Amino acid sequence: MMSTTMDDTAHRASQVDDGRGGATSASVHVSICDVHKVFRRRGQTVEALRSVNLDIRRGEFISLLGPSGCGKSTLLRVIGGLTGPDAGTVDIGGESPTDARKSKQFGLVPQTPALVPWATVERNVRFLSTLDQRREGGHAPLSDAEIDDLIETVGLGKFRKSYPHELSGGMQQRVSLVRGFALGAPILLMDEPFAALDEITRADMRYLLLELWQRTGTTVVFVTHSITEAVILSDRVVVMAARPGRIAAVESIALGRPRVPTMEDSPEFHEHVRVLRSQLQDHHA
Amino acid sequence: MSREPVMDPVTDMSADAVTDRTVSTEGGLEHLAVQGVDIAELLAADNRRARQQALLRFGAPVIGVVAFFAAWQLAIVIFDIPRYQLPAPWDIVKHIAGDPGFYIRNGRVTAWEAFLGFSVALVLALIGGTLMAHSPFIERASLPLAVLIQVTPIIAYAPAIVIWFGFGLKSILVITSLVCFVPFLVNSVAGLRSVDPNLLELARSVDARKRVIFWRLRLPSSLPFLFSAARIAVGLALIGAVLGEFFGSREGLGYAIKTAQARPIQLIDQLWGSIFVLGLMGGVATLLIGALERVLLHWHSSQRL
Repeated sequence: MMSTTMDDTAHRASQVDDGRGGATSASVHVSICDVHKVFRRRGQTVEALRSVNLDIRRGEFISLLGPSGCGKSTLLRVIGGLTGPDAGTVDIGGESPTDARKSKQFGLVPQTPALVPWATVERNVRFLSTLDQRREGGHAPLSDAEIDDLIETVGLGKFRKSYPHELSGGMQQRVSLVRGFALGAPILLMDEPFAALDEITRADMRYLLLELWQRTGTTVVFVTHSITEAVILSDRVVVMAARPGRIAAVESIALGRPRVPTMEDSPEFHEHVRVLRSQLQDHHA
Repeated sequence: MSREPVMDPVTDMSADAVTDRTVSTEGGLEHLAVQGVDIAELLAADNRRARQQALLRFGAPVIGVVAFFAAWQLAIVIFDIPRYQLPAPWDIVKHIAGDPGFYIRNGRVTAWEAFLGFSVALVLALIGGTLMAHSPFIERASLPLAVLIQVTPIIAYAPAIVIWFGFGLKSILVITSLVCFVPFLVNSVAGLRSVDPNLLELARSVDARKRVIFWRLRLPSSLPFLFSAARIAVGLALIGAVLGEFFGSREGLGYAIKTAQARPIQLIDQLWGSIFVLGLMGGVATLLIGALERVLLHWHSSQRL
């Protein structure tokens, strides 16, 4: 288990884990270098991100963990090119986030399912990949057969012709999940996608997500405020602190793959949870 | 058309946790065996309730309309109201049946003018609404004009429109379009902005062009608002067409009303016949819009009552 705190171990952070996770330049997929972001409103400023440095390896599952207002969703949006940093750079496999967005490198799974209410399940999961087909270039979406396979995997095979209002919240979120993967994008950005679900459905969704991730080999950046969720899903957990939003620590998760529900009872799991909770409390303003 | 949210066989707690019942995803409630509950009786009760609701939905409006005309007919007899003041509804129906050609001919003219004005207003409002929804400056600059159009009585400036555009269809079209324009404009701006912001961000994340977002997301999202506007605009279109005919035409039901008003003793039946036909046209148009709404907006919460 590797754990570092940026504040009190700054001098050795660059040697041990400065968010780069020991990644070589060849394996780095997303490189975030000294990113700052300041929100301005009526003359007031809020420092959403201060000097954020992080390297994410290709195919890695990384979670951004922290309390509300710590800038984790902002960091996700900066990575996805949906908002620009005020200082610093983000590199997505040699491209800027905006260029990466244009070449359809990102799949996005928002907090709410955000399904198109007038489209059936099978049209919803293909909605983004068919939205602007005349736009040339970019990453190719999954084939129809592959998407159908994903629909079956998440247990929605019998609901292909159903409309969103005919589905439960958990089923809608599974449609959203498949839609994110259906793009075939190499990077999946997930912004607290399971936050609104009940605990049973949420636990089920975690393992569905892991199954889809392992099948596709996608790089996943997963925003959450749930410690247990971050531990069971991730290769590394980035602990963020608020005011200003910053990376407080990066924890590598020493649980094997594939992850199974019984791991949640293991001492290693509980130790990770304990360490992360302690780090969150240490940096809670 | 609407269906209730289905039970999720994979994650729904109720499907797994309750042991004394089984759920078949192939069938419906018939396969649900619960101890001490008569499923057949529950289903029969549901059917009875559905029949009652259907009766209420279609029967109640018919009963309301028939009761109104029966009370009118009765009031004529009881209070001995002279025909030149208020004819009985049955006499009006007989009068229309006696000269259907007159009402069909003039009704078609008015319906065509109303339809054209309604359509022109819808298209112009969608263009204006799109510009306003995308540009706060255009919205703020245009809104006072839109309010002015709405609050100034059309009857006040209808003669000026006839002076500008001449006698005939052109003037009537302008008047009808102006009357319908503002409800369509206000609702199209609100509708085009009603898209789920998460959906817009998803569209941005795949770099979809604004034009594509408009056709695939904004326009379909605005349909519930446009249908609300259409229900209001149907009546307004008929008002506009009739008013236009008052000032600028020699045909149509508005003109028929105007001539009847000039000779009320002789043409009182024509006045009321025209009113009846106009009411019928408005009612049929509203029903058609409702039917179209049920088909196009089957996914919207307003259709799941």
